[in-house]
Amino acid sequence: MKLLYLVKKELIEITRQKEMLFLMFVSPVIQIIILGYVISTDIRHVPVGIVNLSRGQAAERIIQRVRQSPLFVVRLESRRSQDYLTPLKKGEVKAMLVFRDALDRKRSLLKYPEVQVLMDGIDSNTSMIAAGYFNGIIKQYLVDDMEKRGRGLPLAGRPVFRFNPRLRSINYMGPGIVGFLLTIITMFLTSASLVREKEQQTLDTLLMSRLNTLEIYVGKALPAALIGLVDMVIGLLVVVLWFDIPFRGSLFYLFLAALVYLAAILAYALLISVLSSTTQQAMFFAWFSLMIFLLMSGFFTPVENIPAALRLVADVNPLRYLIKIIREIFLKGNGIAYFWKDLLALAAIAAALVSVSLLNFKRFISK
Amino acid sequence: MGRIKAIIVKEFYHILRDPRSLTLVFITPLVMIFILGYSISYDLNRIAAAVIDLSQSRMSKALVEAFAANGVFSLRRRDQAGHALSLAGAEDLLRRGTIKEIIVIPADFSSSAAGGQAQIGLIIDGGDTNVANLVYQYDERILLEFIAARQKTGQLLKIGTKVFFNPEARSQFFFIPGLVAVILLMISAMLTSLSISRERETGSIALLFISPLRSREIIVGKTIPYIIVALLDGAVILLFARFWFGIPLRGSLPVLLLFALLYIVAGLSLGILISTLAPTQRVAMLATLLSTMLPSFLLSGFIFPLDSLSPVLRAISYAIPATYFLRIIRGVVLKGAELKHFLFEGGMLIALSLVLLAAATGKFNRQRKAAQ
Repeated sequence: MKLLYLVKKELIEITRQKEMLFLMFVSPVIQIIILGYVISTDIRHVPVGIVNLSRGQAAERIIQRVRQSPLFVVRLESRRSQDYLTPLKKGEVKAMLVFRDALDRKRSLLKYPEVQVLMDGIDSNTSMIAAGYFNGIIKQYLVDDMEKRGRGLPLAGRPVFRFNPRLRSINYMGPGIVGFLLTIITMFLTSASLVREKEQQTLDTLLMSRLNTLEIYVGKALPAALIGLVDMVIGLLVVVLWFDIPFRGSLFYLFLAALVYLAAILAYALLISVLSSTTQQAMFFAWFSLMIFLLMSGFFTPVENIPAALRLVADVNPLRYLIKIIREIFLKGNGIAYFWKDLLALAAIAAALVSVSLLNFKRFISK
Repeated sequence: MGRIKAIIVKEFYHILRDPRSLTLVFITPLVMIFILGYSISYDLNRIAAAVIDLSQSRMSKALVEAFAANGVFSLRRRDQAGHALSLAGAEDLLRRGTIKEIIVIPADFSSSAAGGQAQIGLIIDGGDTNVANLVYQYDERILLEFIAARQKTGQLLKIGTKVFFNPEARSQFFFIPGLVAVILLMISAMLTSLSISRERETGSIALLFISPLRSREIIVGKTIPYIIVALLDGAVILLFARFWFGIPLRGSLPVLLLFALLYIVAGLSLGILISTLAPTQRVAMLATLLSTMLPSFLLSGFIFPLDSLSPVLRAISYAIPATYFLRIIRGVVLKGAELKHFLFEGGMLIALSLVLLAAATGKFNRQRKAAQ
């Protein structure tokens, strides 16, 4: 019961300022919605330039298709040989498409032109996707042209996309945002909480109370856990209702994983709080950890791309497991049989973090 | 000027009194760039795929060979017991995420290929849409090459592709300069974000309020010392990216540093505005992180290309300093672009700083009046 008073005090402290209420409950909704729109926009309107040196009909027809495609925006067109590099350098276009007449060995004109794609390789991902789009346009042209003459391509691949048939990227990214927000909010609420008492010298009052160390520890963690869970529910509602993402799995396991994750992240945040002596230090530690957690979680880029030497960092990142479990549940509707290993790993990390952090907390209090 | 100096000196004492924070300011970005520079990558090394060849004909074997020879796919044909993989077994692997794709060659493959109507099934894990698209594109390319080779119509249409500025298309070249930009903004904003809210929490803000200094002088004086810290930090980060990761510097260093200075001032101004608005350090901390981290991750072009965004989101991106510096740093570092290419971006950074500083001064002035 005594514990309740501490939880209440912490909650009052957090919710006293209306700015804090805004940051905790309104800004997540705004962030999810913006994030949702950013990631659900597929790559399109890729700016390209076209240089057509071919006199053939085929080149003109292909260019016509590029112009009409919503995937490309043709920023410049020219029929003269020119400096291809300048528009790329200035960033006006992401690719230059150059069409030339193709000649065979006897120097007679071939039916189809030669095409050269000059790409800006910096945003390699966009460039690759744009090149893929362009190949698609050309392939479609070939297929149509051959069919006109009564022949089809002899071999075709028929793709089926499992778990996400229309390839909506929001279905993949959306549910992960929930894990993202859970991390940011709870980490920041908790990592500064002890430091604040240190800076304002109110810690002694807390220590003189009849609460024991464990109760203080839990009392510091619980309010953030509660707020985190509320944020998670808000996040889930926004994701499912606003973005219309199907939920296929079990809600029970989703919350179980979230609770285990909360234990891990809160223990970690309290550890930061014990180790830092000013709010500024706590902020830097929390920021550093967040960047690593978020960017190595598989949320933005696949975890498999992390080189072996750094795999260990990814393996102890609790967010990675949470994101994986959330995606398995949301996207594939997988049962526990498919992610029990991840849940177990998450629990092990949580247990390790709680013991290390509790130990440090005790040592700190006894001083 | 002499009066501003007093507050600059005072602020320097604040910085030096907490050497641990100062160390963190310099160490954390380097560790971050080191770890993340290797880890954030789109480059798929090998795509694990299962092959179910129900045809077992000469032509189907040649097709499987074409997939294997490409080097992109690592093919799986048997289950753990050594039997040929069944469709159900492969579907389970797909569900587990062990493989990204199942290539199914139907039993009537070779006879229908002779009739010119053969189809193969490509069952792709659509979860990560980015990866799914890449996998499908590789499939298509292999199929087209296979057809061209079989029909001896190699010259069907020659497509040559040449990649500039980043010939191996390594995504490190894309991400590391972006990381530098994002980290620099966050560090700058964090440096100043606590400076006024701390004084408010400890009550020493009253001393600032009654000092003879103008509000403008206090705000500027509190910002200047951090310019030096952040610029040093920026230089260290850039050098690390240059020499550790071998990110080339194709443009001029002074130009880059000049823009970095403008960018840092914008970040510091954002921090100081948050600091005047926030009642406590905790609010300042949460507000700084929320207002810098996600916007500069999402709306600046760091990860997601701006060209594809809707007009509303693009409009928001103009208010984010990282948008401009990302364009500048990628341009100068990777393409050797010059000062004259980025006059607009530089001007916008200056304008943003002025607006933020003016807002901070106005707010501080009002608080001061209210306190008196």
